[in-house]
Amino acid sequence: MKYFAELDGEQREFVVERRAGKLWVTTGDRTFELDLSLVGDGATFSLLVDGHSYDVVADVERDQVTLQMVGERFAVRVEDERERAAHAVAGNKVGGKRELRAAMPGIVVDLKVGEGDAVEEGQTLVVLEAMKMQNPLLAEGPGKVVRLCCKKGEAVAAGALLLEIE
Amino acid sequence: MPHFRRILVANRGEIALRVIRTAQEMGIETVAVFSDADRNALHVRRASCAVHLGGSRPAESYLDIDKVIGAAVATGCDALHPGYGFLSEKAAAAEACRAAGIEWLGPPPDAIVAMGDKVQARKIAMLAGVPLVPGLQEDVDADRLVAAAREVGYPVMLKAAAGGGGKGIRIVREEKQLVEAFELARAEARGAFGDDRVYLEKFVTRPRHVEIQIMADKHGNVVHYGERECSVQRRHQKLVEESPCVALTPALRERMGAAACDLARAVGYVGAGTVEFLYSAGEFYFLEMNTRLQVEHPVTEMRYGVDLVREQIRVAAGEELAPVAEPRGHAIEVRVNAEDPNTYFPSLGRLSRMSLPGGPGVRLDSAMFRGLEVTPYYDSMLAKLIVHGEDRAQAIARCERAIRELRIVGVSTAMPVALRVLHNAEFRAGDYDTGILERIDRSLTPERRELAMLAAVAARFLVAERAGAKSADGDGDARQRVPVWSMLGRGERLWRNRS
Repeated sequence: MKYFAELDGEQREFVVERRAGKLWVTTGDRTFELDLSLVGDGATFSLLVDGHSYDVVADVERDQVTLQMVGERFAVRVEDERERAAHAVAGNKVGGKRELRAAMPGIVVDLKVGEGDAVEEGQTLVVLEAMKMQNPLLAEGPGKVVRLCCKKGEAVAAGALLLEIE
Repeated sequence: MPHFRRILVANRGEIALRVIRTAQEMGIETVAVFSDADRNALHVRRASCAVHLGGSRPAESYLDIDKVIGAAVATGCDALHPGYGFLSEKAAAAEACRAAGIEWLGPPPDAIVAMGDKVQARKIAMLAGVPLVPGLQEDVDADRLVAAAREVGYPVMLKAAAGGGGKGIRIVREEKQLVEAFELARAEARGAFGDDRVYLEKFVTRPRHVEIQIMADKHGNVVHYGERECSVQRRHQKLVEESPCVALTPALRERMGAAACDLARAVGYVGAGTVEFLYSAGEFYFLEMNTRLQVEHPVTEMRYGVDLVREQIRVAAGEELAPVAEPRGHAIEVRVNAEDPNTYFPSLGRLSRMSLPGGPGVRLDSAMFRGLEVTPYYDSMLAKLIVHGEDRAQAIARCERAIRELRIVGVSTAMPVALRVLHNAEFRAGDYDTGILERIDRSLTPERRELAMLAAVAARFLVAERAGAKSADGDGDARQRVPVWSMLGRGERLWRNRS
């Protein structure tokens, strides 16, 4: 099985095989022996890499793998060949609409624009408050607000669609 | 005889739990208060009684003086502990307690007012002989400015009186630039703040944030429990605190302690308080006084073997202060905030899983539990990890070890940043200042990157493998046959959507 991993801008190809209960992972000219074992019913794993032991918490959501290990938190993108091909196609599409999404969960404390408003690059569209901090969300480029999807005072989740600009 | 019959804890989170713990040990009943969002919070579950205050926004609950005092009266409390934040530095809350015949476990309202106004606090400090950052605050004109700058020595800072948070500050290194810079600063201040008052202060190079913990009783006794160094901070948000401060000599420590006690006496202080100083090159300067228990108070407790909440309760009940024990070893605290370690944006969500550190010299003050929702309504601090060691090297090693043991799933924390601080050469040498966090190298070593990629690829492979096994079995119940799905919950949904 072939995978493409990306972390901190570095991309690498990995080939994974299962043999004799172990995972053999090859990258470049090196092969590692991995033993990944689930602990209990949780997201905790015991990982042995060439005999070195790591306690790992892993969350796998599609190609986004979030790890907690060695006191660090890593967000690694791991694509298989099919996903990589699909992303390459999607990357070439040009969309007319741009979405403004909440980068973090919070409360919409102010809406600076209405539907139909023309906006300029850098203009404040929405003010999102999270944990005593007010965060202005700015327009990435000029356009017109075609849809408002949030209300003043509303609590929104991370990634929630706030408005659309065309 | 107990000191009080029942204490209302006017706070939430770890500090509410912290106060409840000591009260329980002293045989005092506790009343928790809570907002809608905190119905299931640990402080509610651990208290003897609990009163619902209202909506999740602080103004509708924890900041509503009438509701909080009303709850204390209705439940027959004879004392109230404000914790930190919320009502803790609101003189009106202390007044309302007094009017209701409830003992406020903090300083008198006058002391809160005096120290809450920064200009007044400076004046009182000056009269009490507490050193201030030298400069010229009033009646600033060009001539007086030049004279004052010569006296304090260059570089100097020009600050807008109405500025704050680093805005409206100009550094001047030579006399020939001073007058021109002053005029520019005034024009800028007028434009930015609508107020052109500008004052001059000595530019303190490589400042460290060092604070003194004090405690005063109602009999005129004031003691201090040494210092805490809190220079590891960003935008005044502290991340790592330690005691003792490596930079202080015993003589300096005594001078700072005495200055802090003098200031407390000058305002008729009672209870626990913290006097914050800037420290640089053998000199210290008064910053402000916090008229409450501080977040980082356990650092002091670990070294002095004192329970500061217990002392607060005792002195409020009219008892005399206990003598201060000899401090021992070294203590470090790390704040576990729910935030993105790179952007410091709050990280909200459900705390789905955690495993907590233990072992010798480790203390965790937290109100975390599995299922806790981290909401945007409150401060992002989840817990405080405090360690104690025989010396600084042991405390640092212990802190690192404990951070590695701490696992929180569902929200992210800045623990990777804390680890980098503990590894940092400046920090290890004890030769650091308030700029340390900005200078921390956050990059990953190639070995770490490779390890993370290997682990991620293996995890992804395992998910795909289990999915394949299930699909080969036909459409049976995935949860029963393939338990790995229940742990990789989101992966399961993904897979089902695809099939």
